[in-house]
Amino acid sequence: MALRLRTGNQMIAQGAIQAGCRFFAGYPITPATGIFKTMIDELPGEGGVALSAPDEISAVAYCIGASMRGVKAMTATSGPGWALMTESVQYAVMTETPLVIALVQRLGPSTGGATQGAQGDVLLAEFAVSGGYTLPILSPSTAQECFDLTILAFTWSELLRTPVVLLSDKEVGMTAERVDDDLLRNVTSQDRLQWRNRSGGLEFMKPKTYGTYSFDCVQEIPAFTPVGGEMKVTATGSAHNKQGKLQKNSPETLEVLKHLEEKIRWRENDLVKVDADIQNGAKILVMSYGITSRAAKDAVAESRKRGIRVSFLGIQSLFPVPSRTITESLQGVGRVVVAEENLPGLYRSVIERHCNGARVLGVNKIGSLITPNDILNAVQS
Amino acid sequence: MQTTTIPPEMDLVYRRPDTLTQTPMHYCPGCGHGVTHKILMEVVDELGIQEQTVGVAPVGCSVFAYNYMNVDMQEAAHGRASAVATGIKRILPDRFVFSYQGDGDLAAIGTGETIHTVNRGENILVVFINNAIYGMTGGQMAPTTLLGMVTSTTPFGRESQVMGFPLKITDLVAQLPGAYYVTRQAVHSPTAVRKAKKAFRHALEYQKLNKGTCFIEIVSNCPAGWKMTPVEANEWMEKNMFPAYPLGDLKVPK
Ligand SMILES: Cc1ncc(C[n+]2csc(CCOP(=O)(O)OP(=O)(O)O)c2C)c(N)n1
Ligand code: SF4
Repeated sequence: MALRLRTGNQMIAQGAIQAGCRFFAGYPITPATGIFKTMIDELPGEGGVALSAPDEISAVAYCIGASMRGVKAMTATSGPGWALMTESVQYAVMTETPLVIALVQRLGPSTGGATQGAQGDVLLAEFAVSGGYTLPILSPSTAQECFDLTILAFTWSELLRTPVVLLSDKEVGMTAERVDDDLLRNVTSQDRLQWRNRSGGLEFMKPKTYGTYSFDCVQEIPAFTPVGGEMKVTATGSAHNKQGKLQKNSPETLEVLKHLEEKIRWRENDLVKVDADIQNGAKILVMSYGITSRAAKDAVAESRKRGIRVSFLGIQSLFPVPSRTITESLQGVGRVVVAEENLPGLYRSVIERHCNGARVLGVNKIGSLITPNDILNAVQS
Repeated sequence: MQTTTIPPEMDLVYRRPDTLTQTPMHYCPGCGHGVTHKILMEVVDELGIQEQTVGVAPVGCSVFAYNYMNVDMQEAAHGRASAVATGIKRILPDRFVFSYQGDGDLAAIGTGETIHTVNRGENILVVFINNAIYGMTGGQMAPTTLLGMVTSTTPFGRESQVMGFPLKITDLVAQLPGAYYVTRQAVHSPTAVRKAKKAFRHALEYQKLNKGTCFIEIVSNCPAGWKMTPVEANEWMEKNMFPAYPLGDLKVPK
């Protein structure tokens, strides 16, 4: 063991660097500034570029440009900055540009509470894309998970050719806690799947003809070609055909649009990352994510001490919704408790329909952390 | 806060104008925001326009301006103060409207708003506090950060090849036909304060003429972000900031 005190923000930066991220652009905003600062300090030493942008609109656009050249890129922000980034995030979805955005939540709406934690951006992040295209979202609850999920975010982003959101929050991001350096070694990072060196294989077939977005079937992920390389690359945020050329309502364009969603949906059972602790015969299932899942875990341990049979499902891959895993965890369960730090029960509203008629109860609060006791009360009620 | 009545035999040389509240300011010791608030509000008081004045504060250290300025105050989203001020002024053209913004707010995220506000010649006063750093978020590089200056995001000093040059946005807006009065002042000494106050008075008086935007830059400090004492900060400002941002008028009405 080699223990060190590190914040979640530092671990996201470290994870990114170990995942091969070599371009970062940011704009200061509490509670995400720690990621920006660490990248400014560390990335140049790794041969990467870390750039201060004049705002979040530019920051994310710089990253997209770098990624179009094939360099793994990341930016980090909080709610107000995310609001400004969404236009270009949609552009990245449309142009199939890999990108990781760390969204460290703070209390909203608007400027909200810069130094107050919250989990209020989960749907704001997911539904930022017109047309409802799935944006994969990973949510860490510890500094170690910040590292692990950042690596995974890059892997997904590269494999799927799409932006991935790392949904952290102020408590996870800014609290320093013990991290074991030994657990940070042996990272395998996913390289961009290039047109030139892509071999066959079931999942990633090489299409018959080249185009910026060539695929033979809608689920397939087009091989990547960098701008400034041998092949001609055409990209546009407008609806386009497989060559990347603007086209209105042609069957091929509609196929490309369908493909943007299908390439993710088709793989949704592989895009699952949960922290499951299922107890035989449990009648109650506690679900949570991010910082609140730590309180939920404590509540589950305490419930069991008191003789209550209860299962726990901490969801790290919030989107695509791990519906099969949720359904499997519901065996024999009559009551589901979903804890999250926002008032309406944002993620609860999404997973409720996967709960097969079990009674779903929310534990919700803003302004302070949800405590194990808050959740315990719901378990016992 | 306690107030004392002055005995009749003593002369009253200064009193807190009604345009300033009694709330103790949250600014760090020596910070230029406090003095700037004070003289701006003194001018509003002296011109007797408290009831007709509307201000728009930024996101930055002066988010709390409404706590100190006893006039109608809104806090806009980061960078949008002059745009919100535009909306207010267009609906209430007879009011005195000002925006009050830091360098991050006005010259980074709000550059577009700043340039277009002045280009339209909006009849408002834009107050621009240039402390060459992002104060509120903990001392990151601002567009106005000097070359070689160390900030948390320029740990080896700002290099022009990587991060460009200090943005003289005041010089830039002075070129626009919509600008009516553009001046650069400071508030670090009694003389400077007197001059700056005069500039605020001109600017608010000009607003009645409907001739265009008045733009006042205050070259200021950030002892906390610069990691200096208030005295060191003012000395450093005179030595380094003033050569880069020379004080004086950039555009005066003909
Ligand atoms: C869209 C958005 N991005 C970032 C922030 C975070 N933020 C708050 S204040 C600030 C900069 C403040 O610097 P400046 O404008 O120079 O004013 P000062 O604090 O130095 O007076 C930033 C980046 C925010 N509130 N909203
Ligand atoms: S951080 Fe800087 S700008 Fe903000 S109040 Fe302190 S000295 Fe003033």
